[in-house]
Amino acid sequence: MNDNNTTCYIYPDSPATPGVVTPDVTFDLGIDMNIPVKMDDGKKITMWGFTNDGSMNGGTFPSAPMRINAGTIVHTRLTVDGNMWNHTVHHHGIEPADHADGVGHITWDVDGTYTYQWRPMHAGTYFYHCHTNTVLHAEMGMYGALIVDPPEGPGTLVSPTASSSAITYDVESFWVVDEIDSRWHTLEWDAGTCGEDVGLHLLEPDYFVITGVDGSGTSAMNVASISATVKIGEKLLARYVCAGYHPQHIKFGGLTGTVYLSDGRELPNPIQVTELKAVSAERYDVIFEPTEVGEFIVTCDILDWITGNVLGTIKTNIIVTA
Amino acid sequence: MERRNFLQFSMAGLAKVAAGTTALTVAVSSAHAATINRTLYITEGYITQITGEDIYFMGFSNSTSELNIPGDPFIIHEGDTVSVTIVNTLQTPHSFVIDGQIDSGVIEAGTTKTVTFTATRAGTFFYYDKLNAPYNRLCGLHGPVAIMPRDSTNELYPGSPTFVKQQFWLFNDIDPIWNAMVENGNTPNTPFIPRFFTLNGLGGRPPGAPGYSDPTLNNMYDPRSYLKGSIGDRTLVRVLNAGMAQQAVHTHANHMEWLTSNGQIRPDIWLKDIVPLDGNGGIVDVIFPFDPPPDAWPPVTTGTYPMHLHTEMSQTAGGGFYLFGAITDIFYV
Repeated sequence: MNDNNTTCYIYPDSPATPGVVTPDVTFDLGIDMNIPVKMDDGKKITMWGFTNDGSMNGGTFPSAPMRINAGTIVHTRLTVDGNMWNHTVHHHGIEPADHADGVGHITWDVDGTYTYQWRPMHAGTYFYHCHTNTVLHAEMGMYGALIVDPPEGPGTLVSPTASSSAITYDVESFWVVDEIDSRWHTLEWDAGTCGEDVGLHLLEPDYFVITGVDGSGTSAMNVASISATVKIGEKLLARYVCAGYHPQHIKFGGLTGTVYLSDGRELPNPIQVTELKAVSAERYDVIFEPTEVGEFIVTCDILDWITGNVLGTIKTNIIVTA
Repeated sequence: MERRNFLQFSMAGLAKVAAGTTALTVAVSSAHAATINRTLYITEGYITQITGEDIYFMGFSNSTSELNIPGDPFIIHEGDTVSVTIVNTLQTPHSFVIDGQIDSGVIEAGTTKTVTFTATRAGTFFYYDKLNAPYNRLCGLHGPVAIMPRDSTNELYPGSPTFVKQQFWLFNDIDPIWNAMVENGNTPNTPFIPRFFTLNGLGGRPPGAPGYSDPTLNNMYDPRSYLKGSIGDRTLVRVLNAGMAQQAVHTHANHMEWLTSNGQIRPDIWLKDIVPLDGNGGIVDVIFPFDPPPDAWPPVTTGTYPMHLHTEMSQTAGGGFYLFGAITDIFYV
């Protein structure tokens, strides 16, 4: 509860799941609203997130990835048990029935345990996030990667067809770029819902992260699953997610990549790029096939949504060996 | 603050007229080029926000006693001749512009001007006041225009994917400090910090909120804004941004077919759950296909889903009030 002991326009419930069947895969999520994350300047920022064992502690930022094959029936079982918090899981880009969509005001904000049932049909890069008081809860870090592999599983981005061969990769990186306004990270879960002016119209970030790591210095360089080491002749798949609210401009350090998918859908014609601009929640799947040995510095500028000014920059690297 | 004898509007008062769309300018048949006449009145007044604040706006209105924000749409065809009479009831100069089609030049305070043009290019446009840019536009002097291809009622441009319905999502973001400066004849000199975010002139009112079921108050209940259809009711949405912030347009239930950006036909049609919308006059055209939600199990053909901007600050009003911003519903019926 907030300081005024008031919560508005939240819709707590946890009914039975319509049409429930035995799933192929179950993710058992809980809530952790006290995840300290240390930034390069030594400051600890409180993040919120989902746990992956249904408990109310042990969460990480970002939350643990979900990974499944297309065509499988999935249960996301969310348990919310503590201090009258409410939360949901919205699988962004996945398009299920409304009762599996996790939008509080259209269905309910989970209070207790609720199981979202869905069956992803399109391989690609997605993410899941809380959709309760979303402006705050997503900024607080309540998200994780959601990867839908084609039936062939990891290593294949696009299945072969009668007229085209499979698009495959050897190495995989996750570039989930986000900005943090530390002012927001002292607010209660229902802040502003009754109309209090808690400044949620103004996001003035002071930290910039990539896949949970402070990316403003060198902390996100040479880090497994963010940066990559790839041999000439190998293919690197970078799954890029604009997880912040401000627009972003990512540059690939001189490498040229090929975008095969965006937002979980294949492009009719892949495009060659050395950089991309993205807005909140866009995803791009980019494959690099480097031909020269060296270190390539990937940078992503976070741009003010009004002025376009650079608010901050994250860095990671791709190391190409013989 | 000096308060002249302005019109005072609740959101309900002003939107009632717009929802009625009695002045909607639609050329239905395109077998022969039509001649269209319309009068717009430039009016001003205050609109009371959900927070209780009264904010100054100006609009291209249907009468001297109304304040229509945005102005009602023009839906016309290439080749149509359009004659617009603009009655400037204010004490400041204004103009009426559709880029590439017509520029009235200065319409002095208290004067009336009639401009005539022939629509020459299919697409989605603003009509807006180009003077004192961008302030007059931000304060409400804007509306949407659809120019349909000649002899076509189901295409965005000749040869485009077809649709069975079309509508507009016109977004704006509002910094009350700027509006007050414009009201007082000053040029805004502070950083633009929007505190209210609207879709077709309205914010959201979630279930349980005052005015929830009132289409003149709640953009989720406003037939200009929400999408309602059955499977196959492909809906062209012409998306315009009168505000300053870059936005991320997000639909649940289906990916959008992304056809154009800022008047340019995209080389390929991508399927996107997020479409970028530039600030300061950005325009995109998308088709919401009304296919069954692909990832439902068991399969479904009905349900309710949101469209919202993923730039989540835009989902707030007055620094809080999540869900009172730029959002609407998508009804599968």
